[in-house]
Amino acid sequence: MIAILAVAAVTVGTVGLGAIGTRIARTTSDLLVASRAMTPWWNAAAISGEYLSAASFLGIAGLEMQNGTTALWQSLGFTAGYLALLLFVAAPLRRFGSYTISDFAEARLRSPRLRGLASATVLLIAGFYLVPQLKGAGLTLNVVTGAPYFVGVLLVGLVVAVNVGLGGMRGITYVQAFQFWLKVFAIALPACLLLIHLGGLPARAALFGDEYPRAGAHGLVVQIPAPQPVTFPAATPYTILVSSHGAVTARTFHAFAGELTTLPTGRLRLPADADVPVSSGTTALPGRDWARPVGGSGERSPVFVYSLLIATFLGTMGLPHILVRFYTNPDGPAARHTTVRVLGLLGVFYLFPGIYGALGRVLAPQLYVTGATDTVVLRLPEAAWPGTVGNVLGAITAAGAFAAFLSTSSGLLVSIAGTISHDVWPRISRERTTTGRVRRLRFRLAAVLGMVVPISVAFFAQGVDIAVLVGWAFALAASTFCPLFLLGIWWTRLTAPGAATGMVAGALVATSGIIVGLVLGEPGGVGGALLAQPAIVSVPIAFLTMIVVSLRAAERGSPPDAEMLALHAPEGLDLPETGVRDPFVLGESATRPRFRE
Amino acid sequence: MQPTEQPEGRTPRDELADATAHGALYLRRLRQRQLALSLFALIAFGAIVGVLPLAIDVVPELTRVELLGIPLAIWLLVVPLPPIFLILGALYARRADALDETFRELVRRR
Repeated sequence: MIAILAVAAVTVGTVGLGAIGTRIARTTSDLLVASRAMTPWWNAAAISGEYLSAASFLGIAGLEMQNGTTALWQSLGFTAGYLALLLFVAAPLRRFGSYTISDFAEARLRSPRLRGLASATVLLIAGFYLVPQLKGAGLTLNVVTGAPYFVGVLLVGLVVAVNVGLGGMRGITYVQAFQFWLKVFAIALPACLLLIHLGGLPARAALFGDEYPRAGAHGLVVQIPAPQPVTFPAATPYTILVSSHGAVTARTFHAFAGELTTLPTGRLRLPADADVPVSSGTTALPGRDWARPVGGSGERSPVFVYSLLIATFLGTMGLPHILVRFYTNPDGPAARHTTVRVLGLLGVFYLFPGIYGALGRVLAPQLYVTGATDTVVLRLPEAAWPGTVGNVLGAITAAGAFAAFLSTSSGLLVSIAGTISHDVWPRISRERTTTGRVRRLRFRLAAVLGMVVPISVAFFAQGVDIAVLVGWAFALAASTFCPLFLLGIWWTRLTAPGAATGMVAGALVATSGIIVGLVLGEPGGVGGALLAQPAIVSVPIAFLTMIVVSLRAAERGSPPDAEMLALHAPEGLDLPETGVRDPFVLGESATRPRFRE
Repeated sequence: MQPTEQPEGRTPRDELADATAHGALYLRRLRQRQLALSLFALIAFGAIVGVLPLAIDVVPELTRVELLGIPLAIWLLVVPLPPIFLILGALYARRADALDETFRELVRRR
């Protein structure tokens, strides 16, 4: 009940702040880039708020509980991605003045055809990132209120579509900033209270010693909602309670170590201190192995860790919903200082998810049985404090998770709607000239249209792993947009055919790696690690292809002096306008603010 | 190559504004300095983060030795790196702004 109220409060707060934003957002420029007048702190909180998604709020803790502390590399990479963005992309891209990645691709390489390819890639990355957010919303609402899966998907989808369509970017900037602080509060408060309450980490043998997660001193009863294949790590007796026609029948079995069996629908009762079985597909890890951040094979191998670090480090700059936010900075130096603040804000947030994964292993081992480790952040407070305190804290984490879905989905939808209304629509429609009103209407319609497809996919993708989709989006972004930005901004000899070939090559290698890995059923060893996270291969291939094809180009156009001037010239020199002419600002206010006189 | 000769009364800024070869040369030097700074910061980052997975994999002491009951490797992974990123980023931003400022002064002079 409290949880329902908390989720409702977050949703209403989001809509309310969005409505305030709507009153302020009058021009198209307001809708899209908040008139480029946000201060670094607002922008930094908004970027962080937008970035912290289902994967950060629920996924890292769940993966850590299931797979061990290797999951913590992910939060490290998620933060470090902003360092790459700061060093190579933030200031030049802001100065260039283009609103979307597609604008940049077309203007820097003077190629309308490259714009088409970039737009398609934006829609692909953003769409694939949106589906797991909606999926997370469906699961969270199901855990918290028992509502069917589709209710959460529809609720978040509708709220976000309406909010983005009406408020656009400016409304959303305040909403995102608000939601960042909400998320920090929601993940930090229960974690700190738990650590104080327990006086540190309990059951150290299961965490860092030789033990598997255990049933506890009073045994453990686990609800099995559907037949569940599990593996028992050690020999143990167990009882299955099945109720039919009002009568409960109990049958006791003896599992041998390593036994794979399917538990029927009902309740599983384990005796005190029994080792907990794990759902098939995951491996039960003794504490010592669980606590090793790297070492072993597959997703614990050094190759996988390095590949993951590369994907997250270089992929962040290629996420369309993040990049678009940099255009709301007034100028290049502001973009730099915003990014530095983001590094600080994310560093604070990512201190906490790991605590949930570790405590979940000790306090909520029943999640191993059903494989629902992704819900550990939501379930841990009640597992630690049965009663009111647990309920209230559980409601807080649920509210934080909902804020994560709402904010990331909003950012993604702004990108999708911007790309559709700005890139795709003008190509299809025959009208030559459009008024601001028509463009605003297009953006709003595109916001609604852009949500229909991900909602439909989320209905069917209930069984698809969140981590797979998110990892794929990062690998794809690192293999396409990262080389496009790095070479396009810093290398004058990049050509449009080179950029296009490299993007296609990177995308193909990244995608086929993941698909082959899924088809083969996640094979082990170095090969399996590369298939699960191909960035360490696909990123160099994309870079090399771009460079080789560009250098071999038969005809070379004039050097991109004007583009380089727009990218790199400091503000305050009163230079003539170069770079991308901004179709949204033009006609409403003809000049772009320049920095420092 | 140092672009020194200036036609009477023209600043490098004018060369930039008129997109002359002179102007492009000035800008190229700024771009190269900014890139060198970024690559330097990247190498510093890579040296710290790039070594860590290998070190934890190879040196068993890092997982065996415990601090306040938690293995050293986990401390290394969670605690020191985000502040290092922040410091590295802040230092970089200051230097990059300074390079921009130097360039502004350079091209404005008579």
